[in-house]
Amino acid sequence: MSHSPSAALPVGHYAYDDVDRTFLKQRVAQFKDQVERRLSGALTEEEFKPLRLMNGLYLQLHAYMLRVAIPYGVLDAKQMRTLAHIARTYDRDYGHFTTRQNIQFNWIRLEDTPEILNVLADTDMHAIQTSGNCIRNVTADQFAGAAADEVLDPRVYAEILRQWSTLHPEFTFLPRKFKIAISGSQQDRVAARFHDIGLIAREGENGRPVFEVFVGGGLGRTPIIGVRLRDDLPEEDLIAYLEAILRVYNAHGRRDNIYKARIKILVQALGTEEFLNQVNAEFAAMDRARYRLPEATVEAIRARFGAPDFAPAGNAAEKLAAQRKADRAFDAWVHTNTHPHKQPGYCSITVSCKPAGGIPGDVTSAQMDLLADLAERYSFGELRITHLQNVVLGHVRQDALYDVWQSLEKNGLGEANIGFITDIVACPGLDYCALANARSIPIAQKLSSRFANADLQREIGPLRLNISGCINACGHHHAGHIGILGVDKRGEEAFQITLGGSAGDGDASIGQILGSAMSEDETVDAIARIIDTYLSRRTAGERFIETCRRLGTAPFKDAAYATA
Amino acid sequence: MDRRNSRRDAEGTSVITANRLLDGRIVWLAADGQWATLIQDAKLFPNSAVEEALKACNARAQEEALVGIYGVQVTETDSGPLPVTSRERIRAGGPSVHPDFTPDWHAPHPAPYA
Amino acid sequence: MPLLENGQIIQDTWQIAVEGESLPTGDVLVPLARLSEGLGRNSDARLGVVLSSADDVETLRDALPRLDVVALTFPVFRDGRPFTQARALREHLHFKGEIRAGGHVLPDQYEFLLRCGVTAIDLPEGADPAVWQRAHEAFTVAYQPSILNEQAEGFAFRRRLA
Ligand code: HEM
Ligand code: SF4
Repeated sequence: MSHSPSAALPVGHYAYDDVDRTFLKQRVAQFKDQVERRLSGALTEEEFKPLRLMNGLYLQLHAYMLRVAIPYGVLDAKQMRTLAHIARTYDRDYGHFTTRQNIQFNWIRLEDTPEILNVLADTDMHAIQTSGNCIRNVTADQFAGAAADEVLDPRVYAEILRQWSTLHPEFTFLPRKFKIAISGSQQDRVAARFHDIGLIAREGENGRPVFEVFVGGGLGRTPIIGVRLRDDLPEEDLIAYLEAILRVYNAHGRRDNIYKARIKILVQALGTEEFLNQVNAEFAAMDRARYRLPEATVEAIRARFGAPDFAPAGNAAEKLAAQRKADRAFDAWVHTNTHPHKQPGYCSITVSCKPAGGIPGDVTSAQMDLLADLAERYSFGELRITHLQNVVLGHVRQDALYDVWQSLEKNGLGEANIGFITDIVACPGLDYCALANARSIPIAQKLSSRFANADLQREIGPLRLNISGCINACGHHHAGHIGILGVDKRGEEAFQITLGGSAGDGDASIGQILGSAMSEDETVDAIARIIDTYLSRRTAGERFIETCRRLGTAPFKDAAYATA
Repeated sequence: MDRRNSRRDAEGTSVITANRLLDGRIVWLAADGQWATLIQDAKLFPNSAVEEALKACNARAQEEALVGIYGVQVTETDSGPLPVTSRERIRAGGPSVHPDFTPDWHAPHPAPYA
Repeated sequence: MPLLENGQIIQDTWQIAVEGESLPTGDVLVPLARLSEGLGRNSDARLGVVLSSADDVETLRDALPRLDVVALTFPVFRDGRPFTQARALREHLHFKGEIRAGGHVLPDQYEFLLRCGVTAIDLPEGADPAVWQRAHEAFTVAYQPSILNEQAEGFAFRRRLA
């Protein structure tokens, strides 16, 4: 078995073989059979619903919504073109990238779904376990394999977990959904502490990795920061330990109240100590040999990941510097939308899917095709979806940046706002979502128009703004420096503001609610006043979140509720 | 509690809605007993009669290939019934962020599916 | 009720203890609360126990060597606890007898049940065994080890399903 990736393998994700492809086709056939049994009445709607959810098919406000899995957020150019094809052929010419590194199509017909799944399977894609009370799409760091500070490539482990969790016989009817995230660097870029299980890898002795294991974190109606169960879980015990956690959860998680069914509630109810005892008891009793993850297995999976074949740096850096000097708009974009790469002469690009006044995360089929073309030409065919609803081209030569930027610019993807206030994360909200209280998108559009001025955004600096249309928190509002939560006021939409949330970088915190809910326009104005307060009260070089922490919420609350 | 809280009260007027099983699209019960895609065609029920009507609809749900049948309180306006909640107004009109995606939207290009 | 075992429909010869009545002679399934009564029976007939999905299989540890059947119950198909009960019976308690699954079970769960160690299904009256057979044959590969110790399929944790 060769451990060196060959040129034929896709860069950045696992290469399927015939066994995997056979499995996907069998899964499609199974779903087709389930649809037929539903139409014949052999399955009731109550029985069919969890089955279709396990294949990513929701009934939303206007139509069915299909959520396609993008494991650890990585896909290749061919797969992106398949998504474009689905958008054009079966939907209304666009798709929506989500905070779970997936894509959603909003206008799907149940009767087309088996065929769509077949089309997806032709390029090794699927919708398996993108919903339902099972182990969901495993998320990983969007700069995996490229980040300069990376200890190991988390995608290999995310793939191992993806395979292990696929149609897991014991964990497919859990009390509630189950989300796992994995970060390959100590800089936690996946919000590990906000997941049912969060894993942060680091180099162990003997050269094999060890994992910090967090459990019971989550957002939703009860935001909780996960507790640390293990500091140094050896690689070979990774699967066994996760099995143990899930067994305890499956046996004891609450099933009488869906709002109390997540693992975080179980951990809180038992206490960390007792939960840990139960997991350890299970771990001690289990047949560990059966679940051992040998080094050879890790390497066999790793061997199916293609790696970029980098060219020497040459004078790429000088060329880029000259281009930045010559074009100020380009320079601004390089500042905000690129990320250092461990390979000299290369960098990672974050393509903003947040144009001023646009719908965060929405991408047309033409834009998908363009992204596929750019990935093919400049980034070894690889694309990534970030949990902030943007797209990353992982490995672009510095002297190609200018060409890439110009193409993006021409196609509405050139916004230079990554990490700024207009890089808004928003869930679909009441415009699409059957569970929503309020619309998330229009308020995002108003805010991104209000702060569209590039100099103003730069002046405000790094700021995370997250919007959820209801307490389910798909827009991660509690993790935003500024969060907006849609609530229902007697059938009318209203919004609460939270302040001081943070998702990662070792300082996870949950945003505090400022006060009573306001209308959409009042909320936009209140946020403008909060920003003014920050700009006038900050000390030199102080970021928004730091000012919030220093001053507390009081001055911002006064500003938010000040009436002119 | 019905999460599709459509705020029906004792005296009001409602229409009956569902999603089609096959394509998921929203439909409204019309006066002729057919299910229409436009709320303008919906039959008005006094709220006192809604539960009875829902029962009858639910009994036929499988054969008519419908899911999620429920009543929506409306006010009567010149342009037809207008739901009282934002949620139902968006259901009736299409997503507010895509004004072109009205309930009778058709693909502008000759795609095999609309 | 018909019982599905190894792809065959067989007639279930076991009786179920009736609440408030003494245990019948012959093979009988008792609820956990009447386990000691069942064990105390002076008879050659076989004994089985019916668990609810909330019961802890650990409580059967001492009695298991004398049990022929453990029957697991799905109050609703979404309640996935019987999967963990079955796997624990096999993996932790090394139970070698029959594990049945009954209640509200879907054919779509059949393969999962088998891979967790269930050997027989209490089919709902009127169920079509062909649908269950189809569910069993739907996949030729699985992605994780199970207590059935299936043969490896290539690399990683993939297993070949018969
Ligand atoms: C608007 C305010 C600006 C700010 C806050 C700013 C800030 C920075 C920072 C922090 C860096 C170093 C970090 C990095 O490479 O990403 C940088 C690099 C650079 N900037 Fe700017 N800059 C600004 C405007 C400009 C303008 C107007 C030009 C040219 C006309 C320019 C040209 C460059 C060049 C050539 C580099 C070096 C690129 C390299 O090392 O590869 N910048 N800038
Ligand atoms: S947060 Fe609420 S409104 Fe937004 S997508 Fe999730 S469930 Fe829907």
